[in-house]
Amino acid sequence: MAIKYIKEPELVDPVMIASWPGIGNVGMIAVDVLRRVMRAEMMAYIEPQDFFYPSRVIIRSGELVELGFPSSEFYFARNERHDLIFFVGEEQPAEGGGVYATGSKAYAMANLVLDVAQKCGCKRVYTSGAAVTPMHHTARSRVWAVPNCAELLPEFKKYDNAVLMSDVEGRGGEGSITGLNGLLLGIARRRGLEAVCVMGEIPIYLQGFPFPYPKGSKSVLEVLAAALGMWIDMERIDLMAQDSENELTGLYNKLPPEIKERLDRLKHTTVAAPESMEAITDDDKRKILDDVDKFFRREGGGEQR
Amino acid sequence: MSLGPVYRLHGEHKLQKPALIVAWLEDASSLGVRTVDYLIEGLGCREFGEILPEGFFPMAGVNVVDDVAQFPESKFYVSDESNLVIFRSNIPRTGWHGFLNAVLDVAGHDCSVSEIYTLGAMISPAAHTLPRLLISIVNQKEMKEELEPFNVMTGTDYETPPGQKPTLSSYLIWLAKQRMIRGVNLWVPVPYYLVSIDDPTACKRLVYFFNSKFDLGVDFTKLDMRVAEQNDKIAGLFQRSPELEAFVRRLEAGDGLDGEESEKLAREMSEALK
Repeated sequence: MAIKYIKEPELVDPVMIASWPGIGNVGMIAVDVLRRVMRAEMMAYIEPQDFFYPSRVIIRSGELVELGFPSSEFYFARNERHDLIFFVGEEQPAEGGGVYATGSKAYAMANLVLDVAQKCGCKRVYTSGAAVTPMHHTARSRVWAVPNCAELLPEFKKYDNAVLMSDVEGRGGEGSITGLNGLLLGIARRRGLEAVCVMGEIPIYLQGFPFPYPKGSKSVLEVLAAALGMWIDMERIDLMAQDSENELTGLYNKLPPEIKERLDRLKHTTVAAPESMEAITDDDKRKILDDVDKFFRREGGGEQR
Repeated sequence: MSLGPVYRLHGEHKLQKPALIVAWLEDASSLGVRTVDYLIEGLGCREFGEILPEGFFPMAGVNVVDDVAQFPESKFYVSDESNLVIFRSNIPRTGWHGFLNAVLDVAGHDCSVSEIYTLGAMISPAAHTLPRLLISIVNQKEMKEELEPFNVMTGTDYETPPGQKPTLSSYLIWLAKQRMIRGVNLWVPVPYYLVSIDDPTACKRLVYFFNSKFDLGVDFTKLDMRVAEQNDKIAGLFQRSPELEAFVRRLEAGDGLDGEESEKLAREMSEALK
């Protein structure tokens, strides 16, 4: 298990932002857009063989010419206040066939990522993912911020559209963060490193489907921009969010009226739309999930995209 | 993961740059395993060693198959006379890199293997009455010329489709290439309606290849009997059900069957040939 360095740049007060695939690829899209906007350069990668099964093979005229593994790459970009290090993992190292990281491999991977952060002098690490919420896809996604030390709470309270777990309805400040997004926070804490997970909200009825949700990613980018004290060109993410909303609206309009009526009630359920008139019950949530699940399966919505 | 030895070998051998044949127990029609079992028995191979299961298979109880408790097996067999090593194994559930490197350690370090052949079945829509093809994927281009005289197809193009993963056999010959060990994946298309049963004709195709390539002197009698027995059973089935025969004729002509017809053919073949 090794890190291979391609470049070892001298970085000024760097911050690391890490992402892996997850629900709606909310975190992954946010980090990928920022990485591209910043024209980040690759600096290192984690050797994949001990973590992953190969993901692709290329055979040409009967010869096996390439066997590829999920990548786990580090990029860097110069920036005014903080230089940035991006970690982009194509897959989470899971034991037992799950999607999210578990077990000794996940622990080893998280430690390697933090080794790079500390070697480069990072004082803070961000991870990014999705927060599944009973919200409507036409609403603006909030960003749940979970730091690994109480000292960071006041900072994240002040950012527009960011909420702490205690601000989220019915959570009382409690919850869990699965996979490496969570594990990294815990291990960073053990190492005395500040870490914050920023999670863009995604509607509860989209959680089981492989739809990307760039609206959630855009909210994450806005909070990251505030936290990093930088301006981010949102043109690319705005386009993605608009395309996604058009696509979702197209699907939404095909829904039977009774399902649509239930989903419409989600327009009034979050702080993002505080004029709640008719809160939905847990029973409603279950029905919504069942109805949408049945509908998308009938429509072939489970197909990978 | 165990910190102890990953594999254990029993005794000595007199091999000289032998070939290694690899078969996985989880294979359509159990083709690879049926093939190596025929070779192990026919050539009088002896057990030579094993890769230990810890770290590669979940140690969480056992599965029961046909009333018998199973346990993962990863065993090496050798025939000094035929200068052959055979590896017969369940597919590991985790630690693939370590597992395959253990196979290559035994192959390269302990047996000085010169080349590796992996066996596998591909599910095919073709009829069982058509000849079985033998398709190769090599890890070194030069091997193609050596395989062509044995009527092996050597021109496949393929890329893993989204959502699928490469086979463990591909992974093995990829790692073998890094150790400068020549490797070939051999694939035989098996009619889809024989996948859950036996395809002795496909098995014979593989045994015939190894017999020709390494001049093994294999006795085909038992395999020919299996082929004849299956053909008799299928002929009986067709007598009872001309509709199934018509399905097979359509497959021979390259016409597909619809879902219901395909399912019926597979189900009734499976019942008749058990």
